[in-house]
Amino acid sequence: MLTLLEAALWTEKYRPKTLDEIVDQEEIVSRLKEFVRRGTMPHCLFAGPPGTGKTTAALCLARDLFGERFQDVFMELNASDERGIDVVRTTVKEFARMASLSQVPFKILVLDEADNMTGDAQAALRRTMEKYTETCRFILCCNYSGRIIEPIQSRCALFRFTPLPESKIVEHLGHVTSKEGLKVTEAGLKSVVEVAEGDLRKGINTLQAAASMSKGITEEAVYQVVGRAKATDVHEMLTHAMKGDFIKAREELRQLLVKYGLSGSEIVRQIHSEIFRLPVPEKKRISLIEAVGEIDYRLVQGGDEEIQLSALLAKLASNA
Amino acid sequence: MTVEPWTIKYKAKTSKDLAGNKPAIEKLREWIESWSKGRPSKAAVLLYGPAGVGKTSVTEALARERGWDLVEINASDKRSGEILSKIAGLASTQSTLFSKGRLILLDEVDGINLRADQAAVTTILQIIKETKYPLILTANDPWDPKIRPLREACLQIELKRIGVRDGLPLLRSILGQEGVKANEDALKLIIDRDRGDIRSILNDMQLLSNKNAALTVDDIDLLSGRDRTESIFEVLRVIFNSRTTASARRALSISDIDQEMLFQWIFENAPYQIPKPKELQEAMYALAESDLYFGRIRKTQSWHLLSYALDLMTAGVAVAKQTPPSGWVPMRFPQKISSMSRTRAIRDVRKKAAASIGLKSHVSTRRSPQLYFPLLRFIHEHNPKEFERIATSLDAKEELDDLVSSELKPPI
Repeated sequence: MLTLLEAALWTEKYRPKTLDEIVDQEEIVSRLKEFVRRGTMPHCLFAGPPGTGKTTAALCLARDLFGERFQDVFMELNASDERGIDVVRTTVKEFARMASLSQVPFKILVLDEADNMTGDAQAALRRTMEKYTETCRFILCCNYSGRIIEPIQSRCALFRFTPLPESKIVEHLGHVTSKEGLKVTEAGLKSVVEVAEGDLRKGINTLQAAASMSKGITEEAVYQVVGRAKATDVHEMLTHAMKGDFIKAREELRQLLVKYGLSGSEIVRQIHSEIFRLPVPEKKRISLIEAVGEIDYRLVQGGDEEIQLSALLAKLASNA
Repeated sequence: MTVEPWTIKYKAKTSKDLAGNKPAIEKLREWIESWSKGRPSKAAVLLYGPAGVGKTSVTEALARERGWDLVEINASDKRSGEILSKIAGLASTQSTLFSKGRLILLDEVDGINLRADQAAVTTILQIIKETKYPLILTANDPWDPKIRPLREACLQIELKRIGVRDGLPLLRSILGQEGVKANEDALKLIIDRDRGDIRSILNDMQLLSNKNAALTVDDIDLLSGRDRTESIFEVLRVIFNSRTTASARRALSISDIDQEMLFQWIFENAPYQIPKPKELQEAMYALAESDLYFGRIRKTQSWHLLSYALDLMTAGVAVAKQTPPSGWVPMRFPQKISSMSRTRAIRDVRKKAAASIGLKSHVSTRRSPQLYFPLLRFIHEHNPKEFERIATSLDAKEELDDLVSSELKPPI
């Protein structure tokens, strides 16, 4: 959404406006440009990790197809906010079935985090997609295409977004730093890239945080940011647990749940990726993954986040 | 092995069987006796003293001795108003000359929830005024201001904690009947540890004497003496000190605390009471399993599943714990319960902020806290002006101000 004010979050300020501005995902971009050239598009499924440009690509595609007025015929729904079947039956259907009043041939509906939709909602969505193809095209974004039911997958053109290579992150960060008048040391830039891990949004957020302290960005500044971010994240909790301090770890967990408002499944996801960084023997990692998976499943079954995750922490603590 | 709790099995049959407090019991007996000569000047007794010294037991024993009916109600019961008026009826109706006598017991009058039941004290005063039968009120704390009017209307009799002198013969007699051997130092220690609270002493003794060897000081050391101000502590103590599934499950019968509330108490205290990580892991997994059952019950209303949830949270935790903590570990109030309202406010603030950010940055409300809160907090701390600019441009100044200020406060 454009505001009269200049976007203050750099991730928004420097979000590409057109397909031409997208720094990576060349193959995807060229296929999307083909849609623009022909003036039409199929339903699409954008799959890939966070910060690789899925939402950006959807926004750019819409703008390139319909110009600045695209916003009238473009709707963005975060499926995981209201992921129930009701949303599909009401909001989605309402938007999809009304033919566009503008000159454009169809509307575009972006369903973000579609892999968080329940199976029922996806099934309902499938029918809606089919029924209103004439008036509305869907772009479903997800982290894992495998979590989208087969019938939907088969109705969509699949685009796989990959983590950005370092060179592309450097290129885009360079663009931001010159526009913002920042002075970044080589080591500083390197550490931002390291932190980003192929996630451009993470890279830009890190840069903006560091820049809030000083326009000169050094490695130390970046580490200060990351240290800060770390306090909010799962790493510290796991460290306490691995040291055998369950009580501290549970306190940390409560902070994550209450103060930072992470959802249980979000924390599970982060624990999963942290497992590969923990200082434990390789075999141990596998048994930890199994334990994390079990907890994840229990959350799906309706287990209490704090209690189920506490059990996992106790398991970690007992192996200290 | 007996399944019956010793606290019930060895309840005093007559007032002579009670350990300690002889003068107080004598005074109470005399007062009851005096009713045969007509209604005494004080128609009610306030029997007070700490938990577990025998307030209820002595009343029951006195009624039994005389073959009287004991009408007993717990004044802190939720529906006390309703029940009290029934009692009022029972107390004021004169029975026929030859029918049985009656003793009326209002247990725990200091537990009256005045906010929920403002009329209770007045009703009780009315009952005292009109009763045709001896009325006994019990309280832990006779100086509680809300029962002051009752205190003044009653003859006050105090029951003191039982000491070693009176406690030892009682324990010897019970252990003799159970065929359990014990050395004297061990018994003295347990009386001291449990501060003369007979109910706790009997519970502890029963737990320990599940073993086939003579009780020693070391055994008693396994149980840490604890403050016991509420029955919940009693329940927790039994759960955390039980060695067998049977005794842990019995804990539930001690108190009528809400089961999910009890779950929170156990969950909160488990890591403090179970110092061995391996054992804690086992206990936490038992709790996690129990939680799943509670979830299933809520979802499907299949209440028959409740027994599994309860077994797992009591016995599951009890058998996991083999090693006690070193020294005395106080029970903690569950954070979940104490912080319920506080966190609700924070959650609301967070949700609003997350929605504003999500809207502007094309991410879901669920993901935006994780992606942007750390960034915003950092900027707020290092560059308040920049933070303000961002907040304004996100059209979420109020929400974000609330967010950072709510998060700067350390959790209680």
